Amino acid sequence: MTRTRSRRSVLAGTGLAVASAGCVGRVRNIVGRERSDQLTLEVLTLPADSDPNAVRIAQHLRGHMSEAGIDARINTVDQAELLRRSLLNHDYDIYVGQFPQAVPFEADSLYSFVHSRFAAESGWQNPFGFTELAVDDLLGEQRSADTERRMEHLAELQEALCELQPLSVVAFPDAVTAYRDERFDGWEFGHPTSAQGLLRLSFIPPEERDGEDDGDEDADEPATLRLTTTDDRITENWNPIATEYRRHGTFMSMLYDPLVRRHDDGPLPWLAAGWEWADAETIRVDLRDADWHDGEPLTADDVAFTYEFLRDTSSGEAETPVPTPIFRGRTTIPETVTAIDRSTVEFEVGSVNTAVAERALEVPVLPEHIWRDRTELVNIAGIALDEETTEALVSPNDEPVGSGPITLVDATAETEAVFERNSDHFLLDLDPLDPAAEGDSEDDTTDERPGEEHGTGQDDTGGTRRIPNAFRGKPSFERLVVEVVPSDIAAVQQVGDGLADATLSNIGPEAVPRIGREADARLVNVRSAAFYHVGYNVRRAPLSNPRFRAVLASMIDKAAIVDDAFQGYAAPATSMLAASPGLVPEDLRWDDDRGTDAVHPFRGRDGELDVDAVREAFREAGYRYNAEGELLSRDQ
Amino acid sequence: MSVLLSVILRLIFWVGVMCFIAGIALIGPRRLYEVAHEVVPILRDAKVPIAGLLVVLVASAVGRGALQTLSELVGFELTGAIFALEGNFVGWIQANFVTTEATIYFSWIYIYGYVFLLVFPFIAYAALPKTTMFKRLIVAYALNYAIGLVIYTLVFAHGPRNLDVATSLLYSFNPDFQALTSEVNENTNVFPSLHTSLAVTAGVFGILTRREYPIWVWLSVWLAVSVMISTMYLGIHWLIDVIAGIGLALACVYLSYRLIEDEDGAREPDDRPDELAAEPTDGAAVAGDGGD
Repeated sequence: MTRTRSRRSVLAGTGLAVASAGCVGRVRNIVGRERSDQLTLEVLTLPADSDPNAVRIAQHLRGHMSEAGIDARINTVDQAELLRRSLLNHDYDIYVGQFPQAVPFEADSLYSFVHSRFAAESGWQNPFGFTELAVDDLLGEQRSADTERRMEHLAELQEALCELQPLSVVAFPDAVTAYRDERFDGWEFGHPTSAQGLLRLSFIPPEERDGEDDGDEDADEPATLRLTTTDDRITENWNPIATEYRRHGTFMSMLYDPLVRRHDDGPLPWLAAGWEWADAETIRVDLRDADWHDGEPLTADDVAFTYEFLRDTSSGEAETPVPTPIFRGRTTIPETVTAIDRSTVEFEVGSVNTAVAERALEVPVLPEHIWRDRTELVNIAGIALDEETTEALVSPNDEPVGSGPITLVDATAETEAVFERNSDHFLLDLDPLDPAAEGDSEDDTTDERPGEEHGTGQDDTGGTRRIPNAFRGKPSFERLVVEVVPSDIAAVQQVGDGLADATLSNIGPEAVPRIGREADARLVNVRSAAFYHVGYNVRRAPLSNPRFRAVLASMIDKAAIVDDAFQGYAAPATSMLAASPGLVPEDLRWDDDRGTDAVHPFRGRDGELDVDAVREAFREAGYRYNAEGELLSRDQ
Repeated sequence: MSVLLSVILRLIFWVGVMCFIAGIALIGPRRLYEVAHEVVPILRDAKVPIAGLLVVLVASAVGRGALQTLSELVGFELTGAIFALEGNFVGWIQANFVTTEATIYFSWIYIYGYVFLLVFPFIAYAALPKTTMFKRLIVAYALNYAIGLVIYTLVFAHGPRNLDVATSLLYSFNPDFQALTSEVNENTNVFPSLHTSLAVTAGVFGILTRREYPIWVWLSVWLAVSVMISTMYLGIHWLIDVIAGIGLALACVYLSYRLIEDEDGAREPDDRPDELAAEPTDGAAVAGDGGD
């Protein structure tokens, strides 16, 4: 939001004076200079109905910015629009949002998030426009270094990012889920509303339920898992690469199987039956025997196509490639992806280490016969509108054909989406009581990861783990219904009233106590990796200045936000990798005794800003104030 | 859906009871009985305004989603500007005046009191000897909706509760109500407050018909003012929305008088009591056109 003041009015006013006084030269010298105005910054976030927490962080920051003399505005838009602005159009000053991955992620996720090579692209890849050579180098080095060196690089990387603050990490929220366990069991493991959490749930047949005998009323009904959310995007769009419609991609990853699914204790072979290192730089993947939802066979060609397509959704039709706004870090890992035969794919990954190489396999596989026809550049009524957008990116994909355990049956916009179990899915055929799988599911010490030094000569079972028992013979629901409700309180109410089995979307601190008051509702809460952060558009002055961002960062009292806004249901953090504590260097860990950020400590106490200290910090960074105490901007 | 249904049934029941009691007390059982038999001619007489209102309501119900999308794309995003202009006023109201009793009262007003305030005048004005006020009321309602819908499309803004300026008292107190309100409205339709404008419209009509229904004046003004306060007390609307709502209401009442002239020709559109109990003649041409 730039506010340029027209000089015309000033000039008109001085016109007479110029003519009469005759000292034209001096007046020109005065009027010819641009006046400085108060700095205006807009904080973009979601309304409380969609996310009760984000707006509180935004208000906290806005209030402190106002105290510091910045004309700070808050603006609320809906979820898709927030992502469209921040990720696709880069049309924002500051946004408050969540990282897209809720389950603790591979550290290489940072590669696409802050690498300068993505600064010009749209999507989750570098939405900030951050360009820092030192950071680029570290991001590259952590991809190829061995485990020990990688830790060092990652530590250095985190330090650099904390120092430079392209974004300010605020807190890692507790993903609170209200659920009832009389119809489905297994909510207590891991992230219950992630794809793997939902897939592992067990249906309790009516006759086995305890408590009152209400079994006969739904004895003949299919086993239906009913979830409530405040996020209506799942009722309108099922395109796995339309990033503005995706939250954590939970349902997309159940519609579209990836080769490998990330699990709490390492990657699980999913659509890949297994993988091995063909040589030091090549992974060979064996596919399971699978069909697409429309009955077409899924082949190695589909996999090869997917990687090529995600890197350029125009398949060469556009002047420059049009990559997807999501999965970008992953698709830049393999150099080539080649179908060797019908069920074998080879990934040439160069010198990247194992952890990063395996991450390349966590991409949803798309059917070539459907997506091949979506490569043309977008047009409305035949008029090409955008050189950089293809049909694939804007299609709502309303008949999603994937290979995953669920299929879309029906949807009513803004109301509900109904999915059905894919009865041909490989999980259903796996025997849950298979003794051979027993050992792997619980203590997983046999997972042999081929290190890059000894990439060759691995035994054939190399990257091949068995699917844990919890997933065998699943999903046990036959139908999955996602119902949209207007707020988190209404979502909890639905569960309390027995109209839903669990809540999907964020539950704010005001709704949490209600879970306890509802007789049959229970609460499960897991630390989410989807950290809340304040993102800065560093393409825009003065946010382009790391000193300016450092002062902004010091105006966020993370501990106070966690206490007040989250009422304790979150953990303040300094580093983006805080969900994987092992990767965070000692001096970047949150220390409750210190109670404030290690790199940019809060200027103030207990949520109250020390206005003089902040103004002094801005002055030291080279910014000026006018007589009214407004922070001036020359660059806007 | 069952939550929604139970809310609607409760609403219909209570508003029905209130209308019945108010009808007996203010209109009188005898006249009420007569009106019940004149429904068809009255409706036929007011067919143009009624058609106008129905068109607006149907357009609102059908087109709301599309208009909402349009609003997102091209509307002026005024949330930040409104908040910057009026600041914490609504938060201040909540910080100083919230009590459990007041929350119960205003929640009740926001749903039941409001619907009763809008519905009862239909019955009351249908019971008048002439249908002029009846038609004006319908035209004014239709105009409120139509203009409101246009402004909603032009302005994209969230209310104070969505900015965490105020607590969402209505919905935390009675979450069921949100099933209803989210069904008939979007949370970005805050400017202007249609709750305020329709309530004030009914209140102003109450004042204009003070000769015919002297008690209803006090009741309708009291309800209209309560509705106005409730929208802010409950954290749903900004003060600016309420002010705009009052302006819209006055404009709509004025326009309704311009569009529906008094049937006895040259008479000024004032509130002169009509002693002449002229039977509504169904064939008579309705002056002015519908409300759209």
